[in-house]
Amino acid sequence: MISVTFPFLAVLALAALAYAAGLARARAVAGGDVRSLVALPKHHALNAALATLLPGLGVMLTWLLAIRVTETSGSTVLVPGSALTFPAVIIGAALLGGALALMRITDQFRARIAAERWIIGLLIAASTIAILTTLGIVLSLLAETISFFSSYSWTDFFLSLVWQPNFRGDSQLGILPLIWGTLYISFLALLFAVPVGLFAAIYLSEYAGPRLRAVAKPVIELLAGIPTIVYGLFALVTVGPLLRDVIARPTGLGDSASSVLTAALVMAIMLIPFVSSLSDDIINAVPQSMRDGSYGLGATQSETIRKVVLPAALPGIVGAVLLAASRAIGETMIVVLGAGAAARLSLNPFEAMTTITVKIVSQLTGDTDFNSPETLVAFALGLTLFVITLGLNILALYIVRRYREQYE
Amino acid sequence: MTEVSVDPARSGPARSILVQDARTKRRNAAERRFRAYGLAAIGIAMAALILLLTSVLAAGLSAYKQTYLQLEVNLPAAKLDPKGNRDPAEMSKVFTLAYAPLLQQALAAKLDALGVTTTLSAKDMGDLISKEAPATLRNQVLADPSLIGSPHVIDVLASGRIDGFFKGRVTMESAALDANTSPEALRVAQALKDAGVMVTRLNWAFLTAPDASDQRPEAAGLGVAILGSLYMMIVVLVMALPLGVAAAIYLEEFAPKNRFTDVIEVNISNLAAVPSIVFGILGLAIFINFMGLRQSSPLVGGLVLTLMTLPTIIISTRAALKSVPPSIRDAALGVGASKMQSVFHHVLPLAAPGILTGTIIGLAQALGETAPLLLIGMVAFVRDYPSAFSSSTGLFGDPSTALPVQVYNWTQRADPAFVERASGAIIALLVFLLTMNAVAIILRRRFERRW
Amino acid sequence: MSFLKLTASGMAIVAISATAAMARDNVHIAGSSTVLPYATIVAEAFGENFTQYPTPVVESGGSGAGIKMFCSGVGEDTIDIANASRAIKQSEIDDCHAAGVKGIMQVRIGYDGIVFASDINGPEFAFTPEDWFKALAANVVVDGKIVANPYMSWHDVNPALPDQPIQAFIPGTKHGTREVFEVNVLEAGCKSSGAEEAFKAANGDAKACIAIRTDGRAVDIDGDYTETLARLAADKNGMGVFGLAFYENNTDKLRVATMSGITPSTATIADGSYPVSRPLYFYVKTQHFGVVPGLQDYIDFFVSDQMAGPDGPLAQYGLVADPELAQTQADVAADKVMDQ
Repeated sequence: MISVTFPFLAVLALAALAYAAGLARARAVAGGDVRSLVALPKHHALNAALATLLPGLGVMLTWLLAIRVTETSGSTVLVPGSALTFPAVIIGAALLGGALALMRITDQFRARIAAERWIIGLLIAASTIAILTTLGIVLSLLAETISFFSSYSWTDFFLSLVWQPNFRGDSQLGILPLIWGTLYISFLALLFAVPVGLFAAIYLSEYAGPRLRAVAKPVIELLAGIPTIVYGLFALVTVGPLLRDVIARPTGLGDSASSVLTAALVMAIMLIPFVSSLSDDIINAVPQSMRDGSYGLGATQSETIRKVVLPAALPGIVGAVLLAASRAIGETMIVVLGAGAAARLSLNPFEAMTTITVKIVSQLTGDTDFNSPETLVAFALGLTLFVITLGLNILALYIVRRYREQYE
Repeated sequence: MTEVSVDPARSGPARSILVQDARTKRRNAAERRFRAYGLAAIGIAMAALILLLTSVLAAGLSAYKQTYLQLEVNLPAAKLDPKGNRDPAEMSKVFTLAYAPLLQQALAAKLDALGVTTTLSAKDMGDLISKEAPATLRNQVLADPSLIGSPHVIDVLASGRIDGFFKGRVTMESAALDANTSPEALRVAQALKDAGVMVTRLNWAFLTAPDASDQRPEAAGLGVAILGSLYMMIVVLVMALPLGVAAAIYLEEFAPKNRFTDVIEVNISNLAAVPSIVFGILGLAIFINFMGLRQSSPLVGGLVLTLMTLPTIIISTRAALKSVPPSIRDAALGVGASKMQSVFHHVLPLAAPGILTGTIIGLAQALGETAPLLLIGMVAFVRDYPSAFSSSTGLFGDPSTALPVQVYNWTQRADPAFVERASGAIIALLVFLLTMNAVAIILRRRFERRW
Repeated sequence: MSFLKLTASGMAIVAISATAAMARDNVHIAGSSTVLPYATIVAEAFGENFTQYPTPVVESGGSGAGIKMFCSGVGEDTIDIANASRAIKQSEIDDCHAAGVKGIMQVRIGYDGIVFASDINGPEFAFTPEDWFKALAANVVVDGKIVANPYMSWHDVNPALPDQPIQAFIPGTKHGTREVFEVNVLEAGCKSSGAEEAFKAANGDAKACIAIRTDGRAVDIDGDYTETLARLAADKNGMGVFGLAFYENNTDKLRVATMSGITPSTATIADGSYPVSRPLYFYVKTQHFGVVPGLQDYIDFFVSDQMAGPDGPLAQYGLVADPELAQTQADVAADKVMDQ
């Protein structure tokens, strides 16, 4: 393994040097009158520093990546023989970049634009991480998924209505009951969480005084931070038996302490801050002039909120709801303890059901042979869930685009 | 948006502003209702929070107190230092098993001195003392071999059941059915407590000690987990905040509206819906198998949580940026700022409260996650404190656990004393979270404005 | 742009840590959550008695995942020991060999008893495997005909049992305990009740023996025994399946049922009279001997009489000590491997 600490620190030091040199050189070129330069000296300096830092780090990361890639295929061509080669090349790249940038400093050089180009590059790199992550997820799921489908028929997986894994093989692994449970539980949870969260956000941003707001907002955010196991136990010990004894048994709808409704209600509590906190920020950012205009026309406060503020904040609110939905789909502990682990297809919200996520976790952490379809199915479930949420997100993006309104 | 319609009723008889007409009344009632809904929503959230917090506090606060027992132990040289040269290296050949009977004898002697008679067997009497105690004694002896030969006064932990008795968890009735204790043992413990030999006092060791095995709930602490969580949060904050904000700025302010941007956008909201355990699978594949980082290390944990938190931060940052009115940008551009300058100097500071909210929610989520850590080896039993940096394991490279992992582990253990421990750990987690929230509130106060 | 500074420090973390991957000095263990408590007890005792070594790190995550990590290769970044609540399979040994892992030592540490227990305030139960089969099977044989399970109360199943509604919390399909439950209880009950022959006659095989009813009377628990205990607290009529060690720690809340007239205890399981138990194992990578400090000492310490013996802490916690422990100790001392 090669040490990267030294070259990294060296590149950082060089960038700092380049900044100082750029500043000095720009001042020298200006000859005492900074106004003769097209760009400010600090922009020249920034450009020089970035031109040193980024090539250096770029070469370093590319090289490291190349080493790892070729190592996995057994080749060691890229591993430097001498301890000096690796840092030398990196420092060389940094020096070259810095020197070129310093040489370009003239009174006509538009250094700000050059520096901003480097920064845009950084921003683009940051936003591609999302793509790389997605790619990574798909790749890390794909191989195992393929080996799952080589031992289990995909028609059974996608079309079978029964989920019944078995230790000695011969399992029935139909995804449909799991998809149904996932959608059902998440939908019910959002049905409770969105109105409560939205009203809380409206009250906080439109009605509450600064003091209540300062207290209530962070306090509600605490709900998002309580470990889900606490919610799970709350569902199991309190909510589940309560729903069973008060509603399910008297009406004859069910006899189970764990039910879809239990999990959904408790999950809704956890989701409230996802809706309320983000929506609150967004509602708060709707320009006051719009409210004033509405009041001026004689609208009451609630009318203003419903007809003016909410439509203006809609895209952001949809984003918040999507985030809450995502969290609902990905939740495990509340579902396990609240809704149980039995895969079932039923409309009755007082019956136990389970979700894809729960089964991914349990199949992956079980005692079954790791290469058996019973374990590998976790990867196929993960990939399928990934595709489903992708579809939902594309749909949501389309809806937001359709109804988006831009105000000023 | 609001459509203006002429109401024929309005051109009726002259009205007074002092008397409300039916329509105004209706509108005012709607207003009051709307307001009440809002208040009710906050009430629901608060009530749920209070309910959850009370249950956690009721179950967990007692973890911060612990019962100790003061004993005067004889340390016979013949048993503890058979070679007689007081060399710690030689003496470490004597295992804790040899120390346990010494504590038992010391307790029996104490009971004799106090005049407490009991029918307990020697073994049952030993069960009053924690199984951690012999190790405590041995460590003290090894650290200072000169203790051998003379009586030594030592504070040791009482066992979990006895501790539970003084906290109300174990009662005489439950002890009668319990295989691990008996009413007689509780009676003896009560006598010791009355004599002042046993005291229940504040227990900071809960926050500093490492985890203990299933047989020693009274000794289990959060030290390793707190360090692990702290390291991971540092990694997440340092990685996720700049990356997330940078990505959001690009997508919101600079990205051309084209297919590629759409793809990134959909990708990000999709990543938010990926179950957290899948990030564990990803972390195992990329950070451990491909990049060769260390299993069970907070670094890998932090990186996995970074990837998991990024979508939350990006989405909320974009929403915050979106909510900054275009007039701000236009004004900046109008006085000659570049696009970049308008964003970094004007838009970003104004969007800071929203960014902070998203970051806090993201961090809170990351702080409480267990599932992704399962696959990268952090759901583990670790007793050695991880160091932030060491020459052999690098930065944040020592094996460690995290607070939610400790909660998860403890809720799975058989001994009921771990229920209290798990709730105590949740309290620590919430305090961690409150601290982060407090910082965010202070920052938000500085930035928040309305226009 | 303080945010650029943050970016820079982020890169710093990645860069500096990439120098890692050097010698590991602690024993690294992963696998079954049933073996986990025993492994932590030994790891803790090992850490405090062998002060020259760090305390081993014990991960949970299931037998399957543990063996998978074990078989992923040889070297510092792979684990040294896999805990398993079942024996390793030939296919897994093949995977191990393909990845260069050779010389696997199998160590049986003892037996795990599986008990049936209900709320302490409820009535006493004395079961036979047949009762469980009839109570939980999807289809049972009544008057020579195969019908969907009609039984609602334990009393319907067997008049000797109390009249309590059937509500059983059984281990989920991810647990190794489920397999033991299926083989030693359901299949045994299926056979002794004569249903097996009826199923064979009707379907050609006896798969129906382990098909569990789906009307909510039998609930799969994918979590752990604490979840089962909480479910019993929420439903006083429930009947749960637990590990012996878990029961022994909660005797003040649970009333254990007898199986075929035998009360479960370490003694009745050790002599084989209590029928529902399974062996627990761990697997050692002998290639790591001498590479990972303390590995050999750890396994010697684990199987020593003072730990795994009938009076040791493991037995105290609820492990059924292996009657053939002496043989295991000899095998470990001789570095006997299972695959050469």
